[in-house]
Formats: sequence, structure tokens, C-alpha cells
Amino acid sequence: MFDCADVEMRELLPDMAAGSLDDATRARVEQHLASCAECASELETLHLVRSAYATTPRVDVQRIVAALPKAVPLPERTHGAQPVKRWIDWRVAAALTMISVGGFSLAVARHQSNETRPRDSAAAVASVDTQRARPVKTAVSGGSPSSIHDTTRPVARSGRAASAPQPKAQLAFAGGTDDMDDASIKVLLGALDEMDRAPVAPSAEPDPTPVLPVIKTGQP
Amino acid sequence: MTRMAQDHEPNDDSTDLELIARWKAGDERAATSLVARHSPALARFAVSLGQRTDVDEVVQDTFVRAFGSLHSFRADSSLRTWLFTIERRLILDRRRSERRRRDDTSVDDADAATEFDALDEIVADEAESRVKKAVEQLSRLQKEVFLLRVNEGLSYKEIAEVVGSTEGAARVHYHNAMRAVKESLYV
Repeated sequence: MFDCADVEMRELLPDMAAGSLDDATRARVEQHLASCAECASELETLHLVRSAYATTPRVDVQRIVAALPKAVPLPERTHGAQPVKRWIDWRVAAALTMISVGGFSLAVARHQSNETRPRDSAAAVASVDTQRARPVKTAVSGGSPSSIHDTTRPVARSGRAASAPQPKAQLAFAGGTDDMDDASIKVLLGALDEMDRAPVAPSAEPDPTPVLPVIKTGQP
Repeated sequence: MTRMAQDHEPNDDSTDLELIARWKAGDERAATSLVARHSPALARFAVSLGQRTDVDEVVQDTFVRAFGSLHSFRADSSLRTWLFTIERRLILDRRRSERRRRDDTSVDDADAATEFDALDEIVADEAESRVKKAVEQLSRLQKEVFLLRVNEGLSYKEIAEVVGSTEGAARVHYHNAMRAVKESLYV
């Protein structure tokens, strides 16, 4: 009963009352108002509302400003400071990673070493039965039983054969010789004999080979 | 009655964002410009929300709170809309605490006539008195939306941000309020 059907015009009336329309839009609205009593009445109501609520209590701007928190300018970053901080952060992270990985590896190595010790002993006992030369058994840290290598180099040889061709220095086998057939044992013994026959020349240079722990076989 | 708003726009023609940047850099005069620019509208809005006393204090609290978190202002909305939102929340909080304290006072719709009685002494013009009475009879939300649209010229989107509603809901509130005011005046 009071509403104009032209929704667009009605939406523009508050802005018309505020005087915030551009010239073209204001002309369109004025043209509509000339022929629409509902919108003309609504615009009059809007003017009344604006007038009724136009009174503004006085506020003390300076008092408000004095109560405001002080602006604290944010510190500017220097170009050199940031990379140093990142470098330090990176080093700390790397150190922590190395410590944690190293500790974990040590724990795993100890655990597996404990697990493989009885089998090593069995293998060593078996090798005593079959060896001609006394092999040095080296346990590779963190390795599985199959990764234990028998360096069949005699203990007495501490020097390195510099000129003579080296025989195959490592024979890897897992477990003892109980489950080896005769042919395999012969091949193994042949390799051991070949290594015994190989000449060993003393070297002036110290042997860079790390001293490896000798696993005792339990035999006297 | 003529508009008595002291909208003394500061001489500084900088935008709100420029003034905020200057204030962040330590320029206290930028704060003065911002307060002078927006405090009249905030005072009017406080009155339209039914704040009869301590309007100055409410406006001050609004600015203090706003400037306290101005570093987080992202300019997704206009500064004025953001200030209206803060002030509205402050007034509602004050109203709740007063209601709790007095235990018998409500400034909701039922007390619109009481609010009008107090205002009636100020408003002399009969037509303005009638329209004011009509507006005061609106629900609180309708009144907020209506006055933000008519008096402060906010868009429906901005109004929705202030009252925590949707743009469509703000439009519906406005038209319902307009119809209620017209019916109150002309029927």
C-alpha cells in the first residue's frame, strides 16, 4: 500500500536523502519522484529521520587522543641479521638431527650385536674346525649375521702387501660350515691356502686399515 | 532542526589507511585526524543505539580499543565500519552489565517508549518527535540497520558487518523498518 514497485529506485532513496548520488543517478531518481507519490513520501520520511537523529553529542577529540595507546613503530629488519639467525637455526637443527640419528643407530647396533653374538660364536667354532690359517673375524657394526665378514688374513700379518697381487681378501659367508657341502668346503680351504701362499712385503707406511676387534671363539 | 553534527572533517586529506600508516610510524597527529574524522558519526551511532549518557566515554573507549589493535586491522572493511562494530559491541556489553547490576532495567524493545520520553525533551519539532517515536518502536536490530543505512549512509554489506548479519538480512531489516515507520506515521 505504501511501497513502490520499483525496487531499484527505493534502494537509492537513502543515498538520495544523504546527497551522495552522482549527477546522472540523482537525475534518474528525481525523474521517478516526479511521478511516484510513494517514493516521494518515503524520501520525505527519510529526510525527517536524518533530521531527528542529526544531533551529535559533543566529544572532546583531544581528550580521546590523549587516552589512546602510543604507537610503537615495528623494528625494521636489517639485511644482515636475518641470514645469521637462519644459519644459526640451521646449525642447531642439524646438530639435533645428528645427535638423534646417531643415538638411534648406536642403540640399533647394540641391540643387533647382542642378538648376533651367539650365532657368531657358533660360526667361529665351526671355522676353527675347518681353518688352516687363523682367520680374523670382523664384525661390522650394525650389520646382520649375513654381513659379518671373515677377513681370512692371518693375525700375524700386520703389514700391507704393496707389490704382490692380493688374493681375494674377503670371503663372506653366513653361519657355520656345518651346512656346507664338501665341495664348498674345498673351495673355501683352497682360497685360504692361496692366501697363505701369497707373499707379504713389509710396508714402510703404517697400515691404514683400522684395527678391528677380534671375536674370540671360546676355544683355547 | 538543522543538523548539528560537528563533522569537522580534519584538514588532513589523507585516507584512513594513510593516516593509520602514519600513526604506526609514530605520527601522533595522524591519530588526531582519525579521531576528529570519525568521532561525530560514532557519537551519533551511540545515541541511536540508546546511549543517553557517557556518549563521550563510549566513543573514547571505542577509539582506545580500536587503536590498541590497529596493527591487526587488515582493511577488509572500512575503518568507519570497523569502528561502528567495536562501538556496538561495547554498548551491548555495557548494557548487559548495567542490566545485571540493576536487575530490572531493559533497554530493549519494551522500553522504547521510555527512551523516547527522555528524548522528547530534546526534540522540539513535532514531526521529528513523531518520526523518532516511530523509530524507537522498532526492534533493536531493525533500528540499528535502519539508522546505519539512513543516517550514516552505510551499504547493506557494511551494515551486515557491523551487526553480524548477512547482506540480504540487512536489506530485509531495512525495508521492514521503513514500512513500520511509515505505518506508524501515516496510518
